[in-house]
Amino acid sequence: MIEVISKETGNKEMVINMGPQHPSTHGVLRLELVLDGEIITKVRPHIGYLHRCFEKYAEQMDDYAKVIPYTDRMDYVSAINQEHGYVIALERMLELEVPERVEYIRVIMAELQRIASHLLGIGAFGLDLGAFSPFLYLFTEREKILDIFEKVTGARLLYNYFAVAGLMRDVHPEFKTDTAEFVKTFRPKIKELNDLLSYNKIFIQRTANIGVLPEKVAFNYAASGPVLRGSGVKWDLRKNDPYSIYDRFEFDIPVGTGEVGTLGDCWDRYMVRVKEMEQSLRIIEQALDGMPDEGDVMAAIPKRIRAKEGEIYVRTESPRGELGYYIVSDKSASPFRVKARAPSFVHLSLLPAISRGSLIADMVAIVGSIDIVLGEVDR
Amino acid sequence: MLNAVKQSWLTFKSIFTGMGVTIRHFFGPSVTLRYPEERMELPKGARARLFVNIDDCIGCNLCARACPVNCIDIETVAATKDVDLGKTSTGNPKRFWLTRFDIDMAKCMYCDLCVHPCPTNCIYMVPEYEYSEYDRSNLVYHFSNLEPEMVAEVKEKAEQEAEQKKREREEMMRKKAEEKAKKELEEKKKADEEATKNEKENGGE
Repeated sequence: MIEVISKETGNKEMVINMGPQHPSTHGVLRLELVLDGEIITKVRPHIGYLHRCFEKYAEQMDDYAKVIPYTDRMDYVSAINQEHGYVIALERMLELEVPERVEYIRVIMAELQRIASHLLGIGAFGLDLGAFSPFLYLFTEREKILDIFEKVTGARLLYNYFAVAGLMRDVHPEFKTDTAEFVKTFRPKIKELNDLLSYNKIFIQRTANIGVLPEKVAFNYAASGPVLRGSGVKWDLRKNDPYSIYDRFEFDIPVGTGEVGTLGDCWDRYMVRVKEMEQSLRIIEQALDGMPDEGDVMAAIPKRIRAKEGEIYVRTESPRGELGYYIVSDKSASPFRVKARAPSFVHLSLLPAISRGSLIADMVAIVGSIDIVLGEVDR
Repeated sequence: MLNAVKQSWLTFKSIFTGMGVTIRHFFGPSVTLRYPEERMELPKGARARLFVNIDDCIGCNLCARACPVNCIDIETVAATKDVDLGKTSTGNPKRFWLTRFDIDMAKCMYCDLCVHPCPTNCIYMVPEYEYSEYDRSNLVYHFSNLEPEMVAEVKEKAEQEAEQKKREREEMMRKKAEEKAKKELEEKKKADEEATKNEKENGGE
């Protein structure tokens, strides 16, 4: 604990560390807070505690396909979406045709993963603010999704399921019925969540008018995903820059409305995620209807990947925002450079801008509402 | 005043709505298992532990090359001519003794990348997850079924054969070189003779 005298106000200020071992920093994030009493005057996020050299590893591998399991480990909460971005980048680079069935399965898996990720994000957010039971109930639902994943891919968290122009294995015969069953049972749970948490007065008091992110600031900091949509901007890469087969589905882009407080506060960001889960269910239903029953998902996978000299940037909508992969190839068997544009990293830089002037107890709400995963921040 | 009453009513209502949900969950079915007594059954394709059917392995090293974390360590010794290792159940002939096939499960990241390139489908994941150990070295699984004496014998034999082959090759090379030298010598002789002949003829004129 250090005490300093503020040059602006002349007040005695205190510097304390929140994290890296704080339960509500969602991993190993250290926040250096400068406090004037209980008011935060400055926040400095310190990162790097989970750095695993993903980008350097990708250059060291002797095959493009060997990088896919590492992309899983960037954002371990939404591994499928991380893979999706990487394989799409490679497919565009190699100009490969992806079979219809593969695309449909990918979309279903990616949307299921989006729901699972939001469930964890929302649950942990509630947990940080003292709501324990929603967390448990949401985890029960998340467990069902992980069961579907385990049956399909064999793993529960880090799947390595997508391959370039294919999938590592075909889905099991009951996949369609299993997923349809889940969609049916999950719909009422969203209403339950709204009853239990979203419109709970205590929860609203803790999140409304807290950590307000105006539209302009969001643009300036290059926010994306639910954080940007929470500020009322209708921007979703699935609609605005469609990749895979997202242009075939009908769904809405939920945006923040300022229903219980100011537009762009913590509650708006939270509510965008809740509404997004409903939209994901809609996409899954449509994809299940359109999914072809026949087709080899492994037929189009190239034996060896030899990219032409060049570079590519592909952006996809991960549950956290715009996930971009910038890949440079120098004709060899491994990528010359892989750069991941991680939404969590970008959103973390927002933190000092939106938390200035708030109470130290609200810091927890703000960190929870931008839903960062430290694995993705540090990579 | 009216507003305060309204707010308190809303608070009261929202809290009891939430309580209703928790009560319903309280009387609902249980979702957890008492782990050591009850066990979750993993699905068929679950990736929990690597297993190698060593009888089917042909020692092609493809899995070790596919592994991103180098957790598979294979050492092979070429079989000598006098032994026939037979064939795998898929009909591929076996040409190598597998003197070492170690998988370090502490390093393994369960990515399944080694399973796909295998030509005989002898390396695969099994849904077996209770294998924690007190010492990390116990997580190195030795799949080679050769006894140490056997390994030594096989290695010696292979070395001998390799030496023999080397010797044979050297012998052959030597013979070839000799023949070549002989030929060259003959050619040189011929050339010399011709030269002297020419000289003589020239001299005769």
